[in-house]
Amino acid sequence: MQVSTKWLKDYIDIDLTADELAEKFTLAGIPVENVIHAGAGLEKVVTGRIEELKAHPDSDHLLICQMNVGEENLLQIVTGAQNVKEGQIVPVALVGANLPCGKKISKGKMRGVASNGMLCSANEMNIEGDSSGIYILPEDTPIGIPAAEVLGLDDDILEFELTANRGDCFSVIGLVRELAVLTKKTPRFPEIKVDENDNAEASALVKIGIDAPDLCGRFSSRVLTNVKLAPSPDWIVKRLEGAGMRAINNVVDVTNFVMLEMGQPLHAYDFDKVKGHELTARRAIEGEPLHTLDDTNRLAKGGELVIADAEKAAGLAGIMGGFESEITEKTSTVILEAASFNSASIRRTSRAVGIHSEASGRFERGTNINGTVAALDRVAQLLQEMGACRVCKGVVDVYPNPKPEVKIKFTSAQINQRLGTNFSDEEIVDVLEALGFKIDPINKVEEMTDEVVDKFAAATKNIGKAARELGKKQNVENLMSNLGSAFGNIFKKADEKISDKTKDNVEELMSTLGGKFGDLVKSVDMKISSAFEATVPDWRNDVTLPEDLSEEVARIFGFDKIPSTLPKGNQQGHQSAAQNFIDKIKSVLSSLGMCEELSFAFTSEAMFDKMQIPADSELRKAVPIMNPLTDEAPLLRTTLLASIFENAARNFSRKNEDVRLFEVAPVFYPKELPVTVQPLEKQKLAGLLMGRREPKGWSQDAAQIDFYDAKGIVEELLAGLSIGNYFVEAGEHYALHPGKTAVFKKGRDALVTVGEVHPAVAEALGIRKKIYVFEADVETLQKFAAKKFSFESLPKYPSISRDLAILVEHDTAAGDVEKVIAKNGGTFLKGVTLFDVYTGERIASDKKSLAFAIEFRSNERTLKDEEADEAFKNILAAVEKEFGATLRS
Amino acid sequence: MEQKILMEQKIKDLRERAGGAIKSASTLKTLDEVRVKFLGKKGELTTLLRGMSQLSAEERPIVGKLVNEAREDIEQLLTEKNSSLKAAELQAKLASEKIDVTLPGRRVHEGHLHPLTLTLNRVKEIFVNMGYTVEEGPEVETDYYNFEALNLPKDHPARDMQDSFYITEDILLRTQTSPVQARTMERYKNNEPIRMIAPGRVYRRDDYDASHSPMFTQVEGLVIDKGISFADLKGTLEDFSKKIFGEKTKIRLRPSFFPFTEPSAEVDVSCVMCHGEGCKVCQGTGWLEILGAGMVHPDVLKMSGYDPSQVSGFAFGMGIERIAMLSYGLDDMRLLYDNDVRFLKQF
Repeated sequence: MQVSTKWLKDYIDIDLTADELAEKFTLAGIPVENVIHAGAGLEKVVTGRIEELKAHPDSDHLLICQMNVGEENLLQIVTGAQNVKEGQIVPVALVGANLPCGKKISKGKMRGVASNGMLCSANEMNIEGDSSGIYILPEDTPIGIPAAEVLGLDDDILEFELTANRGDCFSVIGLVRELAVLTKKTPRFPEIKVDENDNAEASALVKIGIDAPDLCGRFSSRVLTNVKLAPSPDWIVKRLEGAGMRAINNVVDVTNFVMLEMGQPLHAYDFDKVKGHELTARRAIEGEPLHTLDDTNRLAKGGELVIADAEKAAGLAGIMGGFESEITEKTSTVILEAASFNSASIRRTSRAVGIHSEASGRFERGTNINGTVAALDRVAQLLQEMGACRVCKGVVDVYPNPKPEVKIKFTSAQINQRLGTNFSDEEIVDVLEALGFKIDPINKVEEMTDEVVDKFAAATKNIGKAARELGKKQNVENLMSNLGSAFGNIFKKADEKISDKTKDNVEELMSTLGGKFGDLVKSVDMKISSAFEATVPDWRNDVTLPEDLSEEVARIFGFDKIPSTLPKGNQQGHQSAAQNFIDKIKSVLSSLGMCEELSFAFTSEAMFDKMQIPADSELRKAVPIMNPLTDEAPLLRTTLLASIFENAARNFSRKNEDVRLFEVAPVFYPKELPVTVQPLEKQKLAGLLMGRREPKGWSQDAAQIDFYDAKGIVEELLAGLSIGNYFVEAGEHYALHPGKTAVFKKGRDALVTVGEVHPAVAEALGIRKKIYVFEADVETLQKFAAKKFSFESLPKYPSISRDLAILVEHDTAAGDVEKVIAKNGGTFLKGVTLFDVYTGERIASDKKSLAFAIEFRSNERTLKDEEADEAFKNILAAVEKEFGATLRS
Repeated sequence: MEQKILMEQKIKDLRERAGGAIKSASTLKTLDEVRVKFLGKKGELTTLLRGMSQLSAEERPIVGKLVNEAREDIEQLLTEKNSSLKAAELQAKLASEKIDVTLPGRRVHEGHLHPLTLTLNRVKEIFVNMGYTVEEGPEVETDYYNFEALNLPKDHPARDMQDSFYITEDILLRTQTSPVQARTMERYKNNEPIRMIAPGRVYRRDDYDASHSPMFTQVEGLVIDKGISFADLKGTLEDFSKKIFGEKTKIRLRPSFFPFTEPSAEVDVSCVMCHGEGCKVCQGTGWLEILGAGMVHPDVLKMSGYDPSQVSGFAFGMGIERIAMLSYGLDDMRLLYDNDVRFLKQF
């Protein structure tokens, strides 16, 4: 919705700039997205007459103009345009102008001739029109006035971004209504009156019907005769243009004008083209042809609401009219339609056919069902005033189930409590009444608590008694004491006042007591908070609950009037153990030199192919997205490697060759395909390393990382997560090198898989480098992470160290040897560290040398050498037996 | 008598020569040679002492004293020379060890958390300290939890605000973390008070450009208790904004519309760049929109088993990308999901 400030000002006296209006509206919940300032950039463009035109002495296409811009002296301007003639009036940009097209005008010379300005084309002023030459103004244009004024560019435009609930503000009147409340001014809406000057009864000419009352709540129509199609008067054209609509002809323009003004979309049918002169709102039949105004032939999906004549559908209700019944030059009688359609149905159809019109936008947000007839009358009135038609008698109005009034019971306490405010009854009622709500106080006693009722009863009784006593003019002292006990402190105060004066002045006493009693009643009244019933104005479809009323109160007073407090009470905040564990993983990996990445959850079959995921793998069974953003990412990932590979490839292509990435994020496993229930979501961890072992530098290790760097990171990670006592064995993985893949295990559970990326996968990713990755399931890791930290005390006794250097077969796994050592090392064995691995010319080619440092220690005493020797002998015997190992000499 | 004079002469001579030799010794080694030559077991002074036997008994103590004095003198000279030579040698050693300290230091690979994680951690910390629990829910949601339980029935025009990725007609990638609210309320019973935030990834079918991303991170907050008011919401957000953007931060609430709250507000903070003066980042307005909030709609409470006549609540939702971009001065959201290591290493 966009509207010109002039149009708003037609209906209300305000002295606010467009920017001030924008702020007022926005802070009241009617957001103005943009203000288009009229004639921005044309501040220094005026009208001028070409008094003299001469050819430039040194150019065959330049002309020297002497311009009369309403000043004493003529202004010399050189132009290259060829469409100018002496006597024409044109827009002249003066020196200093900063045109909307970006041109800045300064004093200058063109081929040696001084030029003090520029004659403007339509393009240069950013307006519509022929831009092949200078924009020529009408002959009677005054000289020396701002061009913007002449061009009708003196009207600022407000562009609204209305929220979905405020259909009522989709109209100038709706906006003015709000503005009136915000500025406390009285609006002046046009008086609608129609002179039904054609004696024919509309109801005798047309038949209106509703076959689908759930989709069409009301269908009202008028018949206009003697219609004379003509261009609209200027003021209508300007208002429409200000609202971003084009003028077409008087009939169409007036229906559009009234839609903008009142928010009720209207449609005009050529009476003679409507078969049987009947219009019915009904559901379309599947496959039914629809020839719409845009001259497009459509086939109905079935079920959408159409307006049909006796033979066929004549338009998509509320969205677009029909082609055949369109108003043309030949039209002489018009059926005007003003209806109310179901929002959801209009929205569905509008989306389905891809047409979003001014009308459909209004119906989607909801129109005022009680406003149809007024809109018809307004159209009739305007066309009649233009002498463009006669109006038949009566309105044909089908309104099967008139909308009941919406009434909301509320108390001001309820509103104040929700807002945290302390507005008085009066303030609240005033705001709501200004917004058009009718407020009736509800019988207060009904809402009173027993306590209050009792208080009132007691007070009344005592005042009655007091009055009687006063009536008898008896002992004032006695009277005072009676009243004192009845009114407590209040009376005490009265007592104090009275004691200063003559106690015989009973008149004064009465009056004081009366005042105090009034205060008492008032305070009781305040405490119980008056209950009210609000009748919602029929243009507000969005207000149905007391909570809605609280919003009305808050937004009109301004959210800045609401205090800031904090919720009372204390609660203990925390994260779940699973969240803490993920944070721990991230913290450990980042301390190990890895950078955290965050990637989209999407992937594709093509990525699965690159990763060599086997055709029958479960990982291929990914959840498909019905409407993916691109065809390149139509699936939800089943493995984090898909994401991390993509990021590695992007980095590599940008020559970032040293990459260490990790991510903790969910993958999605469908429970079945096609998907019928929510998939399983599992948190996974993936890491990737490639490039140098150390950062590049003059004294840094230039070697590239290898498998053992990656494995080391995994070992450190597990240590950091307090996961111990795992074992590692050779593993298999679709994307990894078959000889360089290891699995960290705990029993049957795989903790982490780590390995070198298969060269074919790396090639498919376009990475000409060795890549190492690891992946793990977060839940499994968490299952094995020690719940409690356990501290190992420092040794009290010295340890004995023995080195074991043995020769074993080349393909013997060091891990297996280590396991045998650990198993046979006896109770004093405290540590085994593999410190050297050697293959080469100094030993047989089918052998390798492994050297372990083995540490023995007792926690109770200093170990004897013989004890260590004994254990060492057992170890040696075991590795000899298991692996045919020999001591390396 | 003659012997004595001769001896005295010799001692004097030795003392002088030793002094000269010590003076001219230029290294610790030659100095030691000098010591051996004069004071060693077979040194000149020892030899001289042997000659004492030729002296008379009266003369011996006198000459002996002279010898001892000479020894002490020489030893003194040796000690002095020794320390000056040592100091000079250390000086020379230090001079020879000089390196180019302008050469770069040896670096290690440094790890980094993602800027969104860093930002989210700050947000979480603030709310956890305010007594909020951190709740989670699935990213693939049902239409019920994503929309209907939030008062957004099918065909509600507000659904247009959020173009969704659908898996089936009824299952979609959540467009907001609000479904976690409904799930959490269902878990609690008997109008129990709730104070929670729900951080997480959400998905909208937006084009991928400088300010939009099909996936982004949201933090939803929900507080339910007896007597919770809009003023409590305002105070909470004011507190949060000051903690995340600095003490001087102001907030401004503008009325808005969300189907799940009533009243609803868009919340602006005073521009973190210009502090309200107006700059490029805030497009001259002095304000930056950072979150949406409101009082929980009674229908939303009812749908999840809470009684709106007994309790009330507020809810808010914010985009972590927006806060990260403002905190770090980023101008393109795509940087956050590009995962270029040159970017990631800056945080």
